[in-house]
Amino acid sequence: MKRIEVKLSLPVVAPLLDIIKGLAGDLNQAPVVESALLDSDSDLREAWASELIAGQSSDLAILLSLFGDDFFADGVVRFDASNAEAIARACSAVRLRLRERYLKPVGDEALEAGEVEIAKLEEPLRKAFMCYLFLATIQELIIQHLDETIIG
Amino acid sequence: MIRPQAKSNPAYQPQAATLLQAEGGWKVVVLNDPVNLMSYVVLVFKKVFGFDEGTARKHMMEVHERGRSVVWSGLREPAEAYAFTLQLWHLTAVLESDEAH
Repeated sequence: MKRIEVKLSLPVVAPLLDIIKGLAGDLNQAPVVESALLDSDSDLREAWASELIAGQSSDLAILLSLFGDDFFADGVVRFDASNAEAIARACSAVRLRLRERYLKPVGDEALEAGEVEIAKLEEPLRKAFMCYLFLATIQELIIQHLDETIIG
Repeated sequence: MIRPQAKSNPAYQPQAATLLQAEGGWKVVVLNDPVNLMSYVVLVFKKVFGFDEGTARKHMMEVHERGRSVVWSGLREPAEAYAFTLQLWHLTAVLESDEAH
């Protein structure tokens, strides 16, 4: 099985994990994107939403499991076919929540174009934006190195 | 709730054309968002619809430049299932009836 290992800087990453963990409650409450369901049947809507929430909670747990005791011992995270999809999805969910919760002042245009001057941001916006970039880097690593594994 | 398998296309089944006429068609439309990476959107399109790289990139660029792309059309039930799967991957997907246009 193809696997990639990435060594991260503990002092840089540890504070970002606090932000991700802080969003876990939100992600366990509501889907990060609006439902597209046409049916007005509330039971069906509820079932649809529950399944979306269950999916994002499970994905987030897999993302956070990267940063367990082993990570704090050697600073290495490991991706392979067994966790790559869930982690890519979790990164997307957390980034969407970060935008909603912290990054509104940055503005969507700047966010989409990547034209944000980190040095000019103040806390907690700065840390949230660092986290947003960190998760994008994880996604890029997975897509670059494990795309074919995921598509399988 | 039925989740479509990657690379399947339920609309191509023999009874689908008749049902499509009776029920009317539905489009799965993906809308732009300022967060998801282009490469991630391409990955999702390949994974969910079985698109090749070129087709997935074409739809991604439509989403990026025009704000929306019709990624699938057919019967309502599979359209809803595809929209659900796209939402599991956190893309913003809406359903539109052919009759609305």
